[in-house]
Amino acid sequence: MNLDERIIGMIAQLSAVRRAEIGPTDRLREDLGLDSVCSMELLSMLAEELDVDIALEEAMAVTTVGGAIEMVRQHLGARADAV
Amino acid sequence: MSALVLGAGGFLGLNLVDALLAQGVTPRCGRRRRSAVLALRERKVPLAQADLDAPDELCAAMAGCRTLFHAAGHYPRLSLDREAALTTGLRQMRNVLDTAAASGVQRVVYVSSAATAAPATGPSDERHLHACMPGLGTYHDLKWTMEQVALHENRVEVVVACPGACLGPWDLRAGTSALLYALARGLDPPHPDGIVNLVDVRDVALALVRLAQHPCPPRRLLLSAANHRLHELLAALAPRYGALPPSPPLSAAEAIRLADAEERRSLATGRRPGVSREIVDLVVHGVPLDAALSRSALALRYRPLEETLAASDEWARRMRFIPSPQVTP
Repeated sequence: MNLDERIIGMIAQLSAVRRAEIGPTDRLREDLGLDSVCSMELLSMLAEELDVDIALEEAMAVTTVGGAIEMVRQHLGARADAV
Repeated sequence: MSALVLGAGGFLGLNLVDALLAQGVTPRCGRRRRSAVLALRERKVPLAQADLDAPDELCAAMAGCRTLFHAAGHYPRLSLDREAALTTGLRQMRNVLDTAAASGVQRVVYVSSAATAAPATGPSDERHLHACMPGLGTYHDLKWTMEQVALHENRVEVVVACPGACLGPWDLRAGTSALLYALARGLDPPHPDGIVNLVDVRDVALALVRLAQHPCPPRRLLLSAANHRLHELLAALAPRYGALPPSPPLSAAEAIRLADAEERRSLATGRRPGVSREIVDLVVHGVPLDAALSRSALALRYRPLEETLAASDEWARRMRFIPSPQVTP
């Protein structure tokens, strides 16, 4: 499973939307129903599972699935393709 | 002080962690498997799995701690299922107190709610506690029930703090702040009218630390800086956000109907209700509070509302909950 699939899998754990229907352009709040607390839980899961330090302000700026993937990729840097 | 904070990742919990760190105490921070822990990770505090439904986790988390801050009392997302809320709240409270008593915890500082204050002829103080379940809504009944368990605990010392509506930084869930955020976004939030007891979350956090350190603390303490009528407050604050004055308040019955409909919609869609039933209940049944005991017993000086709002606004802007003011060249 590649990084994008792992992240979408985590999002699916928190959202009522089925995993197969989640895509990069989906908005965390409007399309997936994740309020601010759920979004923080998601980004906390990402931080812990992928061992990256994400600042809260940076996390709050993430609004889409693709944005979450991109943020994690930036934090992982060269590790992104290894996780 | 060796301390465990349950609910450390929440609004009050994060401010409590900061208050402890400011006093040189690094608390162990309880977290559930699914918790928003980014802010705790930033603080580099030790985290411990502490699901309130997992006594073994609670036991491991409390090991070696003499002080337990319990700021994780059950807060159901919706008020529709009162019986389920009461069952969960009672079970978790008993788990926490049973484990604390068995683990050698010396003092539990339990965060309840000003919702347990009963009406009086004047402002209510610590003497005015509902004698039986208030029956004013799920939130009131739940908080009263859990507080009764705490007050009747005799194996370990428990002190109960009853804060009013907290405002300030780190309100990720946007409880009381939701109405202010809506105003700041140029919306016209539907609201009932009634008494709200505002208090700066940082003052509440300091009060909790002092309750933990006090040689002979009061058993139950109200924490509230000032009483306001909600509609007057919103009208007074609208210009602060460049907003139009809010529409007149809904009647209590209208607000309850709206909140119930919103909660049913939330149940069906999984999305947050636009109006929360517990907020409506808190406002509609709000009573003025006299928190003089907290000032005298804990030497608390509550911050003025302006200072609280400044900190709350600054944080909410950084987190993009509310827009930043437009700068004109």
